[in-house]
Amino acid sequence: MKKLLFIILGALLILPMVSTVYAGGPPPKDVMKGVFLSVDDANRTAEFKKSGAEGTTELVLGADIQPGDVRLNKKVMVSLDKHAGENVIKSIDIMFMDMTVKKIIALLVIGLIGGLLSGFIGSGGALVLTPAMMSLGVPGAIAVASNMCHKFPKAMVGAYKRYKYGQADIKLGLVMAATAIIGVQIGIKIQKYILNHFGNAGSNLYVSFIFMIVLVFVGGYVLYDAYKLSKGTDEAKVSNLALRMQKINLPPMMYFKVAKVRISAWITIPVGLFTGMLAATIAVGGFIGVPGMIYVVGASAVVASATELIIAFVMGAWGSIQWGLSGLIDIRLTLLILAGSLIGVQLGALGTTYVKDYMIKLVMASTMLIVAVSRGAKIPGYLADLNLRPALEPQMAHVLSQISFWALVTALASAGLIISVAMFRGMTQAKVEARREEIISHG
Amino acid sequence: MDARLTKFDKNMSAVCFAEAGEFDTAKEFLAEKEATAKQPEPAGKKKPYAGMVIFGCLSLLGYIALITNQKLVTEVFTMGGWHAVYPVGTALIFSFVHGAFASNLLSVLGLEAKKH
Repeated sequence: MKKLLFIILGALLILPMVSTVYAGGPPPKDVMKGVFLSVDDANRTAEFKKSGAEGTTELVLGADIQPGDVRLNKKVMVSLDKHAGENVIKSIDIMFMDMTVKKIIALLVIGLIGGLLSGFIGSGGALVLTPAMMSLGVPGAIAVASNMCHKFPKAMVGAYKRYKYGQADIKLGLVMAATAIIGVQIGIKIQKYILNHFGNAGSNLYVSFIFMIVLVFVGGYVLYDAYKLSKGTDEAKVSNLALRMQKINLPPMMYFKVAKVRISAWITIPVGLFTGMLAATIAVGGFIGVPGMIYVVGASAVVASATELIIAFVMGAWGSIQWGLSGLIDIRLTLLILAGSLIGVQLGALGTTYVKDYMIKLVMASTMLIVAVSRGAKIPGYLADLNLRPALEPQMAHVLSQISFWALVTALASAGLIISVAMFRGMTQAKVEARREEIISHG
Repeated sequence: MDARLTKFDKNMSAVCFAEAGEFDTAKEFLAEKEATAKQPEPAGKKKPYAGMVIFGCLSLLGYIALITNQKLVTEVFTMGGWHAVYPVGTALIFSFVHGAFASNLLSVLGLEAKKH
C-alpha cells in the first residue's frame, strides 16, 4: 500500500516536470557554458564556442584575467562583466574537474559519512558534501546541482528503510513536501538571480552566508535542547511552542498518525516553505525541516528525522530536474558520492533504532556548529573576490582555507564517531538484553 | 540427549498407536516431529550472499562504464533542456542497483535493525 503511495507520488511529480522540460528550462543569462578554442595574447581576446551553438564568439579578457587562465578545449563556465562592455570575461570556472584517484577516494569516503549522517538525522549529508566538493575545486552551482541529484535517490532508499522501522510519517512528509516544492522554486530563482548578477563569487558568498546564519542559530538551539535532555532523566517532551501551535484550531486540521500530532495545515505550510527555500539554496533543507517538525509541529526527533527523508526525496527529485534543465549536474560527482552514501544511509537508518531521541539532536547540533566554522572561514575570501574588501594576504588566505578544510574534516569525523559509538553501544546492550530474556524464558 | 529421547519417545508412541489402529494419532506424533526438525533454520535468517554478489557486480560494471566514458557524460548529460533526463535517470537506476547491493552487504555483515 505504502509502496503504491510512493509510486503515485513519483508519477504526480513527473507530470508537471514534463511540461517544464519541453519549455527548455531557463539558462543563466550572464553565464555561458562552452569551450575556448584559441586565445590571442596580443589582443587579449579568446575564441569561444558556446554549448549547443553553431558558430564561435570572440570574448575579451577582463582586467583580472590572464591569457594563461584560459584553458583550451575544456568545458568552462564563463561569467561576463556587463559593466565593462560587451563580451568581457569576468571569471572563468572549469566545469568538470579532472578526476584523480585521490579525489575519487575522497568522494567515496565523504559520501559514506554523509550518508551515515543523512540516515541518522534525516539530512545533513549535503551540508558536508556541498562544501567538501567546493574544497575539491568544484564551482558552487555545480556542487549544489550534483548534490541535489545524489540526494533524492539516497533519500528514497533511506526513507524506505526508516518507514520499515515504523519511524516515517508519510502523510506529514507529503504535506510538508508539497509546500517545500514551492520553497524550492523560490530558492532556485534567488540562486539564479545571484549567479547571473554577481557571477560565481557572488553565488559562493551567498551560499556560505546562508550556511553560517542557519547553522549558528538553529544548531545552537538544538544543542541547548539536546544538552538539557541528556542531563535530565525524563523522556523528551513536546516543546511549548508546538503545544501552543497544536491548540490553534484553524481548518483544515490534520492528524498525523506516526508523529501522533493533530495540527492545522496552516502551521505546516511555513515550515515546509522555508525547508524548500533552504534546500534549493544550500541543498540542506533538513536543518530547517527537522527542527521545524520537532519544535513547531511537535514530532519526536526520530519521527522528524525519518519524515525529513521523505521531504528530501520529493524536493530533491524536483530540484534535480531544475538543475538538470540548466545542465549543471556533474553526474560523475553524483554517482561517486552515491556509491558511499547508499551504504551510509542504510547504516545510519538502522542506527536510529538503537539510540535515544536526544542522541539524534546532539549529532545534528554538533555537525551544524562545526560546519559553520568551516563556511565562516571562507567568507573573507569571497568578499575579496567581489571587491567588497581588500584582497587577503597570502598567509591569511592560507590559514583561513586550512581552518575551513579541517573544520569540515572534524565535523565529518565527530559525527561519524558519535553515531558509530552510539550504535555500537546500543547493539551491545540489545544483545545483552536479548540473551537475558532468553535465559529467563528458558528458566 | 533430551531431544533424542523425545524423538525416540515420539516414534515409539507413533508405532504403538499405529499398531493399535489409531492411524491419525500416529500421524500427529510424526508431524510434530517434522515441525520441530524444521525450526532451527527459518528461511528469513539466511544471509543474502547471492544478492550481494549479483548486485555488487552490476553496480561495479556501472561504475566502470562511468569512469571510462567521462567525456561522454560530461558533455551529453550537461546539455540542458530535456537532456536532464540523463543525469536524473542514471542516478535513479544506480540507486536501485547499488542500494540493493548495500542493503544485502549490511545483512551479510550481520547489521540489522533492533527488533521491538
